[in-house]
Amino acid sequence: MTLDQLKENERAIIKHINDESLALQLLTMGFILGEEVKVERIAPLKDPILITSGSNHISIRKADAKSIEVQKTQD
Amino acid sequence: MKPVDTAHSTQQVVLIGNPNTGKTTVFNALTGMNQKVGNFPGVTVERKSGSFSINHIRFKVVDLPGSYSLQPNSEDEQVARDYIEKTGEEDIVVVVADATNLKRNLLLCSQIIDKGKQVILVLNMMDLLQRNNQEIDIAKLQNLLNCPVIPLNARIGKGIDDLKYAISNYTYRKNSFTESRISSNVIDETMLRFNKINQIVNECTTKVGEDKSFLFTKKLDNILTHKVYGYLIFFSMLFLIFQAIFSWSSYPMDLIENGFLMFSDFVAGLLPKGILSDLIVNGIIAGLSGIIVFVPQIAILFGFITIMEDTGYMARVSFLMDRILRQFGLNGKSIIPLLSSSACAVPAIMSARTIGNYKERLITILVAPLMSCSARIPVYTLLIALVVPEDSTFGIFNLQGLLVMCLYLLGFLTALASAWVMSLIIRSKGKSTFTLEMPIYRSPRWKNVGLEIFNKVRVFVVDAGKIIIAISIVLWALSSYAPGNAFEEIEAKYAQANPADESIAATMAAEKLEVSYAGIIGKSIEPAIKPLGFDWKIGISLITSFAAREVFVGTMATLYSVGSEDNTRSIREKMLAAKNPQTGERLYTRATTFSLLIFYVFAMQCMATLAIVYRETNSIKWPIIQLIYMGILAYLGSFIVYQLFS
Repeated sequence: MTLDQLKENERAIIKHINDESLALQLLTMGFILGEEVKVERIAPLKDPILITSGSNHISIRKADAKSIEVQKTQD
Repeated sequence: MKPVDTAHSTQQVVLIGNPNTGKTTVFNALTGMNQKVGNFPGVTVERKSGSFSINHIRFKVVDLPGSYSLQPNSEDEQVARDYIEKTGEEDIVVVVADATNLKRNLLLCSQIIDKGKQVILVLNMMDLLQRNNQEIDIAKLQNLLNCPVIPLNARIGKGIDDLKYAISNYTYRKNSFTESRISSNVIDETMLRFNKINQIVNECTTKVGEDKSFLFTKKLDNILTHKVYGYLIFFSMLFLIFQAIFSWSSYPMDLIENGFLMFSDFVAGLLPKGILSDLIVNGIIAGLSGIIVFVPQIAILFGFITIMEDTGYMARVSFLMDRILRQFGLNGKSIIPLLSSSACAVPAIMSARTIGNYKERLITILVAPLMSCSARIPVYTLLIALVVPEDSTFGIFNLQGLLVMCLYLLGFLTALASAWVMSLIIRSKGKSTFTLEMPIYRSPRWKNVGLEIFNKVRVFVVDAGKIIIAISIVLWALSSYAPGNAFEEIEAKYAQANPADESIAATMAAEKLEVSYAGIIGKSIEPAIKPLGFDWKIGISLITSFAAREVFVGTMATLYSVGSEDNTRSIREKMLAAKNPQTGERLYTRATTFSLLIFYVFAMQCMATLAIVYRETNSIKWPIIQLIYMGILAYLGSFIVYQLFS
């Protein structure tokens, strides 16, 4: 599944990012392949979304979240 | 006390770091008031430089734009990377890191160490680290990285002296972070770096309790990004800013204008009457006054914006607004420049700097002046009074007020529509992504706010000011000179009249303006503006009001002093009484007045705005395009309205 399908407060492991420049950008902002990501908040108009990984909090558009493949973690 | 001689060091100190690490606060703490703001050559990325002295040696400090890594993802990061590449072996690179987010911040640090630079790592926000119940073993980190590590709390200046000492006593040690060139693929390379960084971070940091740093931010976000309260708070905030720029600033602005009037009277009294006095008083001082008068608005707007940025609220605003504005080719952050533009486009365009994406920033700059600014208000008021009596109502609304609101709305909708069209035309430099860090909420650093206001005002007065003065002088020359001896003839005509008679003097001034170069241009463009219902008098006013829109009212006042027996009637009454020489009917019919109103909604009648667009885009191309496209909008809009109503 992809990151845009996650609901608020759901967690997942980042598997692969299909867009190379986005992958590099997210990596440098602390969103590392194989680490956990959480959808912290979805904007009132359903887009963009606020995601967190460790101490890193960023907002990204759904269109970009679509190219991030994740595996949902069970809790 | 005699100042001690200071030697200039050949070493340069370069500050670099992730965004939101307090890098600017470190820069301010190092340099104090010894700083300059400019642009990096060829780009509009802000370049701050300054200096400090220690042990009689002066070091130059350059503050690079915030970067996550040396692999550039934005114009800012490109500039930072290029600058790092160019720094010499003897220069010192200070990497400012957020101590609470060591892992991500060490990526940039590791890349710079591998460039063979002399690195000092600054761990900023040590106070937050304590509150997060974390500890960092500084000595161990220093050993593992093999470079000096300085803990700092830049907000209260703690550790700044240690940093200065470390800079002045730097001894080079050959160093590298990774043993060999690891991989040709940047993503693999970055992953390998993170592996090593993870080991270092695990060895150096200890958790002594639960990390509570995000609890407050999370609670506040529940309110500030709420689907109802979030927008409500944001619009109240905008209302406050709007109110401040609109009405609070009018007191200092009146003070400045009156001060300049007194000053120009004073200068006029000192100098002998003649061209020189006229140039200084009506060209240069009038131009200067036109610049300085904007300072209160710029200061207030940037005060608010810096506070919003500094506290972390601006990122939330973008989060709330991005979805709406994206459809028009804009960005969540465009909302601030667009709405502040209804007070004044000049500070608004400067505030577009916060938009990271080149294309979205450019579109914001290009459409912002379509928002009706405060300088249009005197024009709207005068013209609307010509066609709508003061007490007419539409339902429960005052009709004049309703019309003004429609004009504001027209400007706003046209701005959105133009933005959408431009987003289809202008080519993007890089993909439009919206990956924006959401920093935790912190209280504003008032020293930063003050310095930012000071720097922005200085940029405006010095850079835009030069262009405005130049155009003021040209406009002055156009309306104060006439070909041949046209002025002398008019003066001869009234030679017998009593020079103390004010109505004669006004008539003379009006006749002089008619034969001046500005008048000639007004008359020569009459055929072009006739389809809009304008005559040459309006033509002259269109030209002179290029200095500032409200000049329209003053020029009209001068022009309509022609042929009136008394000076007691207001401009409005004079314009109402004006007759079309061919038809003998009223000149300011509804068609002409509405047409003129539409012209003022759309036309780029403001040299200060053009000057600041030139300054901000670093190219003459964009202000010209803006002048042309807004001119076409104005011409077509007025043409359609005139044909509809006549």
